[in-house]
Amino acid sequence: MKKKSLSAVLGLILAFSVEAGCAATKPAKSVNSQVSASSKSPGDIKSLSFIDVSPSPERQAYFEKIFKKFKSETGITVSYQSVPWDDAANKLAVMGTSHQLPDVMTTWAGWLGQFTSAKLVVPIDNYIASQKDEYTKAVTNIVWKSEKQLYGATYTVPDGMMVKGVFVRKDWCKEAGISLDPDKGWSYDEYFNVCKKLTNPSKRHYGVAYRGARGAFDPIMVYLEGFNGGKLYDNQGNILINSKECQEAFKKWTDLYLKGYAPKDSVNWGFTEMVDNFTGGLVGTLINDSEVAPTCAKNMKADQWMVMPMPTSKDGKIYNTINSPYAYTISGDCKSPQAAWKLIAFLNRSDNNIEYCKMGGLIPVKKDVSDDATYGESGPYSAFVKQLNNPNVVVPCAFGPFDYTDMHQGMMHQEIQKYLLGQQKAETALSKITDELQKRMKNYLKEHPSASVEEPKSIS
Amino acid sequence: MKIVMKYLLFYFILLAAICLIVLYAIHLHRKHKKSVRPRNKINLEPFFYTAPVFILLVLMFGYPLLNSFIMAFENYKLTEPDRIYINGFDNFTKIFSDSDFLLIAKNSLIYVVLCVLFQFIFGMILALALRKKFRGRGVYQAIVFLPWALSGFVVGLLFRWSFNGEYGIVNDVLLKMHVIQDRIPWLGTPGYSLLVVIIAMIWMGIPFFAIMILAALQSIPKEIYEAADMDGCGAIKKFFSITIPFIKPTIIMTLLLRTIWIFNSFDLIVVITGGGPANTSQTIPSYMYTMAFSSYDFGMAAALGVVLIMVLGLYSIFFLKMTKYSQAGDF
Repeated sequence: MKKKSLSAVLGLILAFSVEAGCAATKPAKSVNSQVSASSKSPGDIKSLSFIDVSPSPERQAYFEKIFKKFKSETGITVSYQSVPWDDAANKLAVMGTSHQLPDVMTTWAGWLGQFTSAKLVVPIDNYIASQKDEYTKAVTNIVWKSEKQLYGATYTVPDGMMVKGVFVRKDWCKEAGISLDPDKGWSYDEYFNVCKKLTNPSKRHYGVAYRGARGAFDPIMVYLEGFNGGKLYDNQGNILINSKECQEAFKKWTDLYLKGYAPKDSVNWGFTEMVDNFTGGLVGTLINDSEVAPTCAKNMKADQWMVMPMPTSKDGKIYNTINSPYAYTISGDCKSPQAAWKLIAFLNRSDNNIEYCKMGGLIPVKKDVSDDATYGESGPYSAFVKQLNNPNVVVPCAFGPFDYTDMHQGMMHQEIQKYLLGQQKAETALSKITDELQKRMKNYLKEHPSASVEEPKSIS
Repeated sequence: MKIVMKYLLFYFILLAAICLIVLYAIHLHRKHKKSVRPRNKINLEPFFYTAPVFILLVLMFGYPLLNSFIMAFENYKLTEPDRIYINGFDNFTKIFSDSDFLLIAKNSLIYVVLCVLFQFIFGMILALALRKKFRGRGVYQAIVFLPWALSGFVVGLLFRWSFNGEYGIVNDVLLKMHVIQDRIPWLGTPGYSLLVVIIAMIWMGIPFFAIMILAALQSIPKEIYEAADMDGCGAIKKFFSITIPFIKPTIIMTLLLRTIWIFNSFDLIVVITGGGPANTSQTIPSYMYTMAFSSYDFGMAAALGVVLIMVLGLYSIFFLKMTKYSQAGDF
């Protein structure tokens, strides 16, 4: 009897093991189809979950406050959770694998390639169709157009817009006899000249917050793309920023460091060091997003700083990245996408969005908030807002639709550092980066024959 | 289907290897028991008491270890979750063909050797100085042992600011003492950036050596020194003939532990220099950290981890054999 019972138990265990093993090899059901099959109408939904990937005390307080307001208006409770930015992509990917994603997520655009292919987020074209006209052209013509081009659908609603500008020490310029007019703008040569004039090592004044560590190639690439109308690759995937002209431009840019217009330590500077040393009074210019403006306002006097638009390229156009820091997405595990959309629409309602943007130094995504004093002519965001509405602004192409995280975190800045430290030639540094980008782009085009190469985007 | 077969084959080989190791261990154990004493009935009581810890270790340490070993042979990037597959020795090939790997390995060696050597020397001096009672010893001891109580992150920030090229206190002091004419960009100069990390690690680790050696010194019976005095031994003779042999097991164990800990540490490097500029202050563990948490390439990071385990395993065996640890302390 005992033997029989044991055999039965073992048999059952074996059967379950085989079933479990087979289950792993069965094709997974489409996440989207699961969502649509089990989706509930907003009326049935009493609660939603939300995750923020860039938590801070201010952001948490804001979201908790806004969710209370949402509950009072709709009766839907929203539970807030967060994940530290450094672990966010990893954590969301793991949650997605175990189908435990919250209903609404803040997401970074750089993750979309991974998230859309793993179906962690769902398309929202049907929802945005009715509200499209309310959003600024920067959202519709740049963010959403780019998503459609890259991923075949729209997946995100930006939480605010970020555009780069040049933060300048107004008081240093006055001292050096430099007159700058944000409305008139400036060219790259004029910008380089200002960096030179502001440098005075005996006073511990340097012209530029040079980015030498992670992200070092980002501003250089935009500068080089300006010599090719904002393009990075041709239609066959050949890279365009390694021409003789671009190599000279690369040297010109890196001369900011080599000629001593930046502190020597800046070869190892990232975002934090750049901002700290601008607000701390070591460097006179800083290229960065509008999100730095609140930090400057907090740590510097109003007559100490100003913002200039990004310099114009040789064709007279401003090549500038425009994106949103984060965006709201509906997760693949959401039980009621309609209710999730209701929450997103509420978060981006003009009054809520403007409050949110002021907190993070962003430009609002809706048209009807552009009259607010903060974003007006004399406001600190004027140069940024004007760029977002400037038909002369072109958004150059990104690295590509392939995975470049390892390059961005490693060789892109390391090869430039080797050149800055005299370990290799400028041409070698640039070629190593561009060759690898070209290799990956060509591989991508080979693997995706129907894919096309991204084109620069204009607001107009 | 091909991928599934590959996985099955891989797990089968891994399982077979583990079984072989276990069987060989049982064989050795039986052989040893036969030669030592007659076969007795196995006493299960010790296994019962150690079982909770053993199970916890297997769950918290054994499983991740095994999993990282498997990941070392996979293309495992978090940015490409739908493209995870076994890629054989590709990760190891990439590591050893990386033009910077030799530099990183050299940095690791310099970092470990200099840190362990100077921590040992200064730790020994500190322990000898604190051995005899003097007024205010308790306070002094608390102050000099403080660095060990600080977190790596805090120590990292402290040194990053002290060695800041423009505002750092180190440059200011050196300038005022006329040792240097111009400020040195410590963190932006190859060689110096690694030196800063080494200095920080030495400063942080001296107390551990001092605590361990001091404890060992205090366990040496006073009578032996009295006998040596009566025999007319000088201080140096007493140090090398009594002190060192008595504290040798502690020194060996501390050196071994610190070497492994320092070799594995990456927090100071990440905080102070981030491995830069151009990998000139990067060591294997900090490179592994970058691979895992910046590039999200867990396959490469796991392969680096396997390289680390092998290097440290070989080092431990070699070190214990060389120092004759099993005979240490026998007089």
